[in-house]
Amino acid sequence: MIQANRQTRPLSPQPQRKLGEDGGPNTPEIERPAAPNELMKRLKKVDPDQARKYRQRSGQ
Amino acid sequence: MRPILAGIETEYGLAVEGGGAEDQLEEARTFVRCYEGVAFAGWDTRKETPRNDLRGFRADRLAVDPEDRQFDRPGPARETEDLRSDRVLSNGARFYNDHGHPEYATPECATLDEIAEFDKFGESILYQTACNYTTRTGRTARIYKNNTDFQGASYGTHENYLIPRNLNLQTYQDAVIPVLIARTALCGAGKVGSESGTSCAYQLSQRADFLTELASVDTLYRRPIFNTRDEPHTDPRLWRRLHVIAGDANRIPAATARKIGLIKLALHLAEADAAPRWEFEDPVRAFHTLSRNSEGGFELRLQGGHTTTALEVLESYYAAAEARLDLTEELCALIAECRTLGNVLSTHAPGPLPIDWVAKKRLLEMALEERGTDWDDPALASYDLEYHRVDPAESLYDALIEIGEIPKENLSVSKERTRAFARGLAIQKFSDALATLSWGSLVFKTERGHEEVPLPPDLEYPMELEHAPDVETFIRILRRNIP
Repeated sequence: MIQANRQTRPLSPQPQRKLGEDGGPNTPEIERPAAPNELMKRLKKVDPDQARKYRQRSGQ
Repeated sequence: MRPILAGIETEYGLAVEGGGAEDQLEEARTFVRCYEGVAFAGWDTRKETPRNDLRGFRADRLAVDPEDRQFDRPGPARETEDLRSDRVLSNGARFYNDHGHPEYATPECATLDEIAEFDKFGESILYQTACNYTTRTGRTARIYKNNTDFQGASYGTHENYLIPRNLNLQTYQDAVIPVLIARTALCGAGKVGSESGTSCAYQLSQRADFLTELASVDTLYRRPIFNTRDEPHTDPRLWRRLHVIAGDANRIPAATARKIGLIKLALHLAEADAAPRWEFEDPVRAFHTLSRNSEGGFELRLQGGHTTTALEVLESYYAAAEARLDLTEELCALIAECRTLGNVLSTHAPGPLPIDWVAKKRLLEMALEERGTDWDDPALASYDLEYHRVDPAESLYDALIEIGEIPKENLSVSKERTRAFARGLAIQKFSDALATLSWGSLVFKTERGHEEVPLPPDLEYPMELEHAPDVETFIRILRRNIP
């Protein structure tokens, strides 16, 4: 069961969100790491036709 | 500085095994009803005014997408309330069927970390409900947190900001539009291909192709950069709700916080009459052009034949804020993060970044290498779609976290006691005594009849509500809190 209750705690003094490693591309072709196993496994499971079959009602 | 209350509404994509778009209205109704957490069913729609325009009039009707009509089918006759299946969750969020899309609207949040966490929590609500749906119906429901079906249909991720009524609307509009456009470089979710205008292999924004107007009240068709819906969900004499429909659904929580933080920065500058002045040659075209600039540069054309870049526009807001505002620690951190990201993007340095369009582009490059194809590969849209899938065991987004391409974030922050705190408690403790509710009030069944208690949005609600032994005490504490 999902716990969706609100909990109140003191604010932490510093933001916990950090950037990743220093540096990063705006064009991924600069550094293209070999896809490790978990990503490879999921890439192979993707139905190449999935997007063509995906049709949605227009929303807001 | 006055805290700006904000929230995010996300319409999720819904793909049910064996179903199509023509079934989506009914499927989304069934889907929402599969939520099994603590919830209250009884949303009051009577105070909704989606045709009211901030510019001082009421639209006769809202534009609808003519292409979408092909999916209309005669179905069971249902009242609107029955079809929408509204649920109010015990954290104060709203979960319902909006035009065939399960929609999760976060509770009102005071801080950026809080809204990022509640928005991410919505993904787990949707995933759990999808599991329940499969158990009950025997059919798989795939849920996507994105904004397009790649075939011309878009569905929104809307942001809401509570702002005072007394400041001139044009001042807000002039301050916010440059950021709505420029933030795409740091907050876009990325999309394979285009669905209108100039074709492209990849673009920064999911939503840009669907924005055709500068400002209007419409949301379903001919969508604007600056939405003018006037529906404050509180006292309209005091407050407006800025309803932003131009942004993307972000998977990366840091991008969600950044998206909201940049608009808050613009609003604070508007209120201090200190926002930078930018006049684009054509704002709608600028949005489209920037979105197609995934190779860097992020150039924008200004009036008079001049040019600038999205990063320069954003930098002007950081500098103005530092010069003119008494910045909170949160906004200082936001500016520092955005500057770092902007510097990395403009220097072409390698490495992962917490920006969805960058992460997705790296993913697509890996998929292309694996398939031995190029950017014309029609399968790329499927990999794009699976980035947005809300299933941690299948999603390509979650796989990118696992291999370190997207930084893992610690999402456990304090929750402010906004009016959502009171709403959530009412559902947890006194659901049986509730007659109906909405964003702006709770209506209780009491011995005196139905009693409506307003929930003003600018208050901190007292902790003692948690310990109220009965509904009468709960109501008394709420009323005592109202000035």
